[in-house]
Parts: sequence; structure tokens; C-alpha cells
Amino acid sequence: MTKFNVINTPIHNVDGIAKVTGRAVYTFDVNLPHMLHGKILRSPYPHAKILNIDTSQAEALTGVKAVVTGKDTLGVKQGIWRRYKELCDEEILARDKVCYIGEPVAAVAAVDEDTAEEALDLIEVEYEPLSAVFEPLEAIKEGAPLLHENAERNINVTRHIEWGDVDEAFKQADYVREDWFRCSSQAHVCMETHCAVADYIPEGKLTVWTSTQSHYYIKVLLSDVLGLKENDIRVISRYTGGGFGSKFELDSAQFCSSVLSMKLCKPVKIVLSREEEFMATKRRTPMFYYLRSGVKKDGTFLAKEARVFTEGGAYTAMGATALYLTGFFQSFPYVWPSYRYDGYRVYTNTAPTSAMRGFGAPQATFCAETQIDLIAEELGIDRIDIRRKNAMYADYEVPGQATIQSCGLSECLDRVEEWIKDRGKLPPHHGIGIAAYGFMSGGIFNWFNTPYAFSSAVIQVNVDGKVDLFIGSQDMGQGSNTTMSMICAEELGVRVEDIRLHMGDTDKCPVDLGAWGSRETLMQGNAVKMAAAEAKKQILKYAAAKMSPNIVYDLDIKDRWVHLLARPERGLSYFDVVKEAIRGKEGQPIVARGHYTPHRKGMISPAYSFGVQAVEASVDSDTGKVTLKNCVTAHDCGQVINPLGLQGQLEGAIAMAAGYGFIEDLPMDEGKILNPNLVDYKILRTTEMPETTVMGVTTYEPEGPFGAKEAGEGLTNPTAGALANAVFQATGTSIKELPITPEKILNALRERNKREKK
Amino acid sequence: MIRDFIYLKANTVEEALDLIDQHKEDYKVICGGQSLLILMRQGLVAPEHLIDIKSVEELNYIQFDEKEGLRIGATTTHRTVELSPLVLEKFPVLVHMEENLASIQTRNWGTIGGNLCHGDPAGDPGPVFMALNGAVKIASKQKTRTLTLDEFFIDYFETVLEEGEILLEVRLPPIPPRTAVVYEKFNIIKNDQGIISVAASITLNNDGLSCNDARIVIGAAAPAPIRAKETEKLLIGEKISKGLLEKAGEKASEEADPVADIHASEEYRRHLVGVLIKKMVEKAWEQAKAQVK
Ligand SMILES: Cc1cc2nc3c(=O)[nH]c(=O)nc-3n(C[C@H](O)[C@H](O)[C@H](O)COP(=O)(O)OP(=O)(O)OC[C@H]3O[C@@H](n4cnc5c(N)ncnc54)[C@H](O)[C@@H]3O)c2cc1C
Repeated sequence: MTKFNVINTPIHNVDGIAKVTGRAVYTFDVNLPHMLHGKILRSPYPHAKILNIDTSQAEALTGVKAVVTGKDTLGVKQGIWRRYKELCDEEILARDKVCYIGEPVAAVAAVDEDTAEEALDLIEVEYEPLSAVFEPLEAIKEGAPLLHENAERNINVTRHIEWGDVDEAFKQADYVREDWFRCSSQAHVCMETHCAVADYIPEGKLTVWTSTQSHYYIKVLLSDVLGLKENDIRVISRYTGGGFGSKFELDSAQFCSSVLSMKLCKPVKIVLSREEEFMATKRRTPMFYYLRSGVKKDGTFLAKEARVFTEGGAYTAMGATALYLTGFFQSFPYVWPSYRYDGYRVYTNTAPTSAMRGFGAPQATFCAETQIDLIAEELGIDRIDIRRKNAMYADYEVPGQATIQSCGLSECLDRVEEWIKDRGKLPPHHGIGIAAYGFMSGGIFNWFNTPYAFSSAVIQVNVDGKVDLFIGSQDMGQGSNTTMSMICAEELGVRVEDIRLHMGDTDKCPVDLGAWGSRETLMQGNAVKMAAAEAKKQILKYAAAKMSPNIVYDLDIKDRWVHLLARPERGLSYFDVVKEAIRGKEGQPIVARGHYTPHRKGMISPAYSFGVQAVEASVDSDTGKVTLKNCVTAHDCGQVINPLGLQGQLEGAIAMAAGYGFIEDLPMDEGKILNPNLVDYKILRTTEMPETTVMGVTTYEPEGPFGAKEAGEGLTNPTAGALANAVFQATGTSIKELPITPEKILNALRERNKREKK
Repeated sequence: MIRDFIYLKANTVEEALDLIDQHKEDYKVICGGQSLLILMRQGLVAPEHLIDIKSVEELNYIQFDEKEGLRIGATTTHRTVELSPLVLEKFPVLVHMEENLASIQTRNWGTIGGNLCHGDPAGDPGPVFMALNGAVKIASKQKTRTLTLDEFFIDYFETVLEEGEILLEVRLPPIPPRTAVVYEKFNIIKNDQGIISVAASITLNNDGLSCNDARIVIGAAAPAPIRAKETEKLLIGEKISKGLLEKAGEKASEEADPVADIHASEEYRRHLVGVLIKKMVEKAWEQAKAQVK
């Protein structure tokens, strides 16, 4: 076993100092000479035809430089599912009709924000309101108002997954349980709202600074809708103030600022307000879940059937992926010999629903884990035992879908079981709930239709030994810059401070598909490792000449020391070798490339993380109020790269996922979101955070760099389910509707008391 | 977005009242700005003149006198009240209330005057001051008047303040002997605004057993904080018992007039009124009883 010098050591975020000292320039901070400010006019109707837009008064206002509507665009229906044109259905600036409240209909550029906003009031849009539908179970009915011509009964996408003989297996079951669940929506609540500064110059080139999870996607999508060549567009995203799934699609700030800038040949900045952010960007997909499970008396899982209707909102967005992934992860992290899933994504006249951290899996995990506790209770089986009995294991094949290469689930269960035992007897009205989960380490799907490798990296080693690392991945706060620097430093044999990172710029960085689907550590990490290995090989060639080992493979570099593997004390300074090597290469720096695209890795992902979480909560029986006490997570992310990063990811995930479990929601009235501000939309703050502990369970993932897997989204999967189960343990009632509010708990307690009285 | 306005700063009460008088067609007073700026940013309020009284130091004080009680100047911040040893000694309920009011950042800026004048039925100081039988001193260029807090709040975000008037101070009479005042709000995340709040002041008779006087106030349960007068009547003269608390809770939920919103239904709010009343009356009673020994 090689000892690591960098991997698995706690390294502070390489961007940390720039951020806390305010030096980090976010898109919000970008100000260019002659820059104009843009604002977007949005539909007040959930469903309406646009009969006419009169912009003349707005144009006449002093200070207004341009007003654009859908008529000024190419009218391209765009989306990330570029390989499937029928799923690209969003124009961003609507031309003929609007399908949700907040849909952009016009945009203004003016000398300042005030003027731009004033101009919005002067744009006259003549609408013909159409009847609208808001709930998927209504929208799917015969005769419901239709949003899109080609979508009969408003069905946008359907997904079917099946293995084994489900019907036969149910016949064998001793116990069958059916439940309905309802999973609510959730807003991403990034600290930095969606924003962009677009700068088009008469030479035909466009530069866009923006807050995004994937500069490559934005560049390509802009080229699709603007009619420019991909490489006449440069997208810069050095710092991104949070993403969580909300920032890898093309958004209204990026599109409208580009259209305006192309018209004016001047830079235009658009920053969405918090209200716009809530009302008119995408959000977590609400789901109605039907689950039927059949098990043997001893708790062995036999068959599961899941049916899901998701509230799609007005457009496809990344909802098709959420629909597939929720179906796939509904079977996780267990061995179900037979499984059938049918998912329906239904268009509704509400803000589109899409990707959000966990991508459909938190919903699946909440329903699945709640039901498993009910089954265990019914059968009188210990809830850890039933999970252990059916747990996935290394080399298990999910029929037709995936091969699990590494899996530490059983160990995670052991660790959490120990913790619960140590916790001993709980105070009254306390409960500990558990949930087991898994997640993918990046997707193998290429719906974007890119000819490039999924991840690439370039390394240049300079004469002083400093390393320029060019990566396409996007750090949005999750720490991938640090992770990549560490992987590079470890493989090359230098220190993290020797790495100069270049990222967030399509002109300078190789292509990477971006930070979503928990793909960076594994995919970008593999590309970086490959590039570093190649650079090292070049350096060692020169060292070999001096040190004459039997074969070059007998040499290695560790912590800036080039040495013989067998006799580490015999070596040369890395810096000296690099200098000589460059001299020997006709004065050319050492340059190496690396890339990664998954091959033959099933339908979903090259690798899967696993884990078990225990949430301890107390419930006030008078008010139904839940207080989080402890949250303990045993997470198998393969080889941990940065323990500090893991802890950060975990705590952030708990805040977000517990919020989903019992606080956050986007209630609506006729398609209008009722809490589009941070006074009424509550999120967990530090004061509500429970004690959190992460217990690393190390496995080795053959497909990952140094054996690593994801530790990003997976951590958001268990908490709502674990919380629901904690409430179940504390009160004896199970809430099947998110968020688990005090009011719902109280009503459930009353129902139960009534039943018991009878 | 906040519309442009003319910013005017007052350093004394006199200056403030003059400025208000000069711009009475279209002005708004700003102190800590914690409530007003939200309304301005949402475009709900767009004053032509903004008259800043935050630097009026003569209104920044906390004073106590055995006879008169406590006086808190309008520009005193929440944080100052929270950290005042004097307040802790004489009116501990105020410290407890402040500790649960918003975040430290908001308490550093927000003022007692601004809080009351904003007239939010979910505000914390209103119910507590009412339970403490407080009064406010109000002045305009023309006149000065004093009103009880019971008279101060009228409707959602509406108080008796007339055009040209500002609030100068809050006066809280000394707490009578054998009296305890307690306060609690129910919220889902800590330090958030209350979904329901209850302040209770219980005075016991010499015997230390029966209730001599009660002031019960419910916040966030009506367009303004309300005195639960029927509930008070029910308690006065009685000895504490489970049954009494139960009845008080029921009565108060009847007296409350809450509306449903996205945070809670009307029914749930009524239920919370009952729960909190029982809890607060019992707590105040016990604390008052402890004083008799
Ligand atoms: C995030 C957040 C959370 C909060 N949570 C709570 C909470 O839990 N409980 C709670 O009680 N409050 C809460 N608040 C409200 C906060 O306490 C008040 O905003 C604050 O006390 C108002 O004081 P201010 O000085 O900032 O008033 P400003 O915002 O400056 O003014 C508010 C109103 O009062 C008027 N005004 C101010 N001073 C005077 C005066 N002397 N005479 C006449 N009119 C005046 C202004 O014209 C304006 O209409 C919260 C606020 C925020 C932003």
C-alpha cells in the first residue's frame, strides 16, 4: 500500500482566503466600462397567449438603450437534452405564449438598474389568458388544459425500469405493503442569484461572465440559441456562489444579457433579484409516489413496484433525468430481485422543476426508507437487520442497469448501529431514525451530445517546478478546485501549494461537462490523475538518466523528492530534475494531457457511494414541533480525498436536506409562489443545526482516482427519510408528506389518539 | 429595488420634528431600517424623503426609577436592551424576549421605537410591554401625548401614530410585588418571528395561592397584539389547578382571532394559543408564588 502525502490530509479550500478577504470576483462583482444594466419583464399569468407587445414607450424613456422580445431572437427551443430535440422545449424569451408565472417576455438594457426597472412598467403586453392547470394529477386527466401541442394529456416524459418477474414475486410474498407519498418542492437558495455580464464586440465575439456549474454547457447552449460558433463564445466563471443543480442550464440572465449585448455591442449585466430567483428559476421536482413492496416473513425483499407522477412545471428542463434517477434510486441501496418502475413527468403551469442536489434520489429515499421502517415494524424485525439482510454488496449487479464495484453499506450499518447502542436510552419524546442510501459518481449519459471527452485536464510543469493545472470542472463552493489540486499534487509528487490552478474559462480550459451529478471527483479527478501521471513520466525519464535504475518504473516522486522506489533515501530534488528536464527538451516546459469518459459502465454511473444516516430528534407532543439533536452519518465515498471537504459537504447537505424534510416548501396559489423571499421561505441556519458526525467508511473504488467516489449529492439523500423515521420512533406516527411540519405531526397524533380511543 | 429618495439626518428630537414638519407631504422616518428597508426594497413604500433618527442620542437610553419604573428611549437597540444589567435585574422577561428576537445582526440595528411603530402583530416587544402595563410617549412639533400600549396598536402595520408624530420612549411601571411576567413565542426556526406568542403577568394575593390580577396578551393571533380579557377574568380570584389552566387555554383560543397563512392554519394557531397560555400562566404563577415565600 502506498502511503499518501496529500490524499486524506485535511486541506483548507484553496480559494478560501480569496473568498473570506473579499478578493474573489464573482459575476456579481464584474463591472466593465460602458456597461449597461438589464432587467427582465416576466409573465404575471400562469398560462396566456401573447397577442402583442408594445415596447415603444419603454424605448422612449431616457436612459433606455434597447428593449428586446422573443421576436428579436432566433426562437430556438433549447435544452440540455440536445440529442432528443423533442425534449428541448424552452425558448427563454417567450414569443407566442407563456406557460408559467415569471416566464420572461421581454428584456431591457438601460444606463442603470432603476431606469431599466422603470422601463419594464412601460412595456405593454397584451395577453389572452388561457385556462391553466397546476397539479400533475389534474393535468394528466383527459380534458385538462394542454400546455404543449405535442404532449397529449400533458405527459412530457415517461420512464420505465423493470427487472425480474414482479407479478410472480408478489405472489410469493408473505407481506405486501402499499403507500402513497408526496414529496414537496424546494428552492436551491444559492447565495449568488443567477447573473451574467455579456459583452459582444463587433468582431463577432461574445464573452459572458456568469455564475454557472458548467461553463462548457453554457457556451454550447448559447451557440445553439444565438447562432454563433461555439468558439466565438467565451464563458468565464471563476467563482460561482452556489449551484446545487440550479446553474447548469441556460438561464434568463445569460440569454437576455447576450441578446441585448449583441444588439448594442456593449456589455450588459443582469442580476436576478431574490424574488425572481424563487419564482422563475428552476426548483426541486415535487413527486407523488406510489410504492408497493412484497417481502418474506423474515424480511427478505422480493418485489417492489413504484409509480411516480412528477410536477414538471412548464418545460422539460433537467426533469427527464430526475424522473429516471428517482426510479433507479428507488431500488437503492438494496437487492430487490424484482422491480418495476413507471414514472410520468407531467407538464403544469408552474415554474419548471429540474435538477437539485440529489436529482430525484432524496425523494426516492424518503419514500423508500419510510416504508421500510413501516414494514420492519409490522413484521417485528429490527430496522437495522432488515436493511442489512437486503443490503447491496460489492460486485452486485443491478439487473440491466449497473454494476456495483465497491460497496461499504454493511459496514456503514454496523457503525450506525453501534452509535445507536452507545446512545443508550433516549429521553421521552426522542427518536432516532435511520435511512440508508446510495448515489452515483457522475452520469454516463451523453444527452448533451458532446463529441469531447467527459473530462479533460492539461498540465504544464514550469522551470521552477511550479505546476499549471488547467481543468474544465467548476468549483461552486463544493471544493473541487481543492480536490483537483490534491489529486494533481499527490500523483505528481509535489505539494498543493505548488499547483497553480486555471479553471472557469472556456478559452483557457479543456472541456469538462461541469459540476452536476456528483461527477467531478471521479471524472475530472481521473483526467487530472492521468495528466499528472503523464507529466511525471516525462520528468522521470530525465531522472532515470542520472539515477540509472533497472527500469524507469523503479522511480517515483513523493513530496518533491525523486527517488528509487526500493531505496527512497537515494534521490534527487524534484526541482533540479525539472530544470534539467526542461533544458533537455529544447527549453520546452513539460506538458501533459489527461481525459476520462466512462465506457461500459451500465446505464447510470461508473461508481456508487453508499451510506447510512441516523437522525435523532425530539418531538413536542403539545405542538408537534421537531428539534434536531444529532445527525450521524457513515458514508462510503471510497478513498476520502479531503476529510475537511467531506465534513463541509456533509454539514451543508444536512442543512439542505433536513430543511427539505421539515421546513422548506414552495406553496402556491394558482401557480403563484407564495413565499418568494427569505422572510417567508425558511431555511435551516447554524442555530438549528444538530450535532453532526461523519464516520468515514473507506472502500476502494477501482474506477475512481485513488479509489475515490462521490461525496456531494449522496449526502442529501437520507436526511428527510431519517427524520421521518425519527418522528415515527418518537411518536409512533408516520408522516408521508413532505415537509413534515408540526401541524402535520399534530394532526397525525390526533388521528392516532382518536383511533386508539375507538 | 429601492427607489431614489432624499436622505435627511436628524441629530436631536427637535431637528427630527422640524424635518418631519417641513416634509410632511411625503416622508418616512427611518431608524434601524430593519423593517422599513424590506418594505422599500419590495417597492411597497417609496417615500420622497427619508428622515433618519438613528443618531438622535437623546433617545438612546435605559433608565430606572423605583417609583416611575423603566424608561427606554426609542432609538435604543434591541441588543442594548438585551445586554443591559439593569434590565436583567428589574425586567428579566425583556432580556429573555430579546435573546429570541431575530439574529444578533438585526438586534444590533433594530430599535425598540422602530419595532413598535412598525406595528407588526408578530413583533415580540408589543405583547410583553402590554403585559407589563406599559405606555408610550409620543410627540409632534405641536404636541406631546402619552398612551398605554393597549391603545397603541390598531391593525396590521398600523398604530395610533399620526402624521408628524414620532415615538419618544416606552415606560414600564415597576413590577408589583408577588408578580411574575413571562413570555414565549412559538416558531419553527429559532429566533424567527412567532407564529403565536403569549405574554402573561400574574399577580398573586397575599396568601400566595389565589390570583389577584392577570394581564394576558397574545401576539400574532389578530391584526394587532390583543389582551385576552375574558381569560384574565377567568383567572382572577381563582387558585391554580389543571382544570383552570385547561379552561384558560380554551378561553384564550376563543378570544384569539388568527388567520391562516402559509406558515400555519387558523386551527393550528388557535391550538397553539391554548398550549402557550397554559404553559405561560402556569410558569408565571409558579414564579410569583416563589416570591411569596
Ligand atoms: C430578519 C429579521 C428578523 C426579525 N425577527 C423579529 C422577531 O423575531 N421579533 C420581532 O419583534 N421583530 C423581528 N424583526 C423586526 C425587527 O425587530 C424590527 O425590524 C426592528 O426592531 C425595527 O426597528 P428599526 O429601528 O430597524 O425600524 P425601522 O425599520 O427603521 O422602522 C420601522 C418603522 O417604524 C417607523 N419608525 C421607526 N422609529 C420610529 C420612531 N421613533 N417614531 C415613529 N416611527 C418610527 C419607521 O418609519 C418605519 O415605519 C425582524 C427583522 C428582520 C429583518
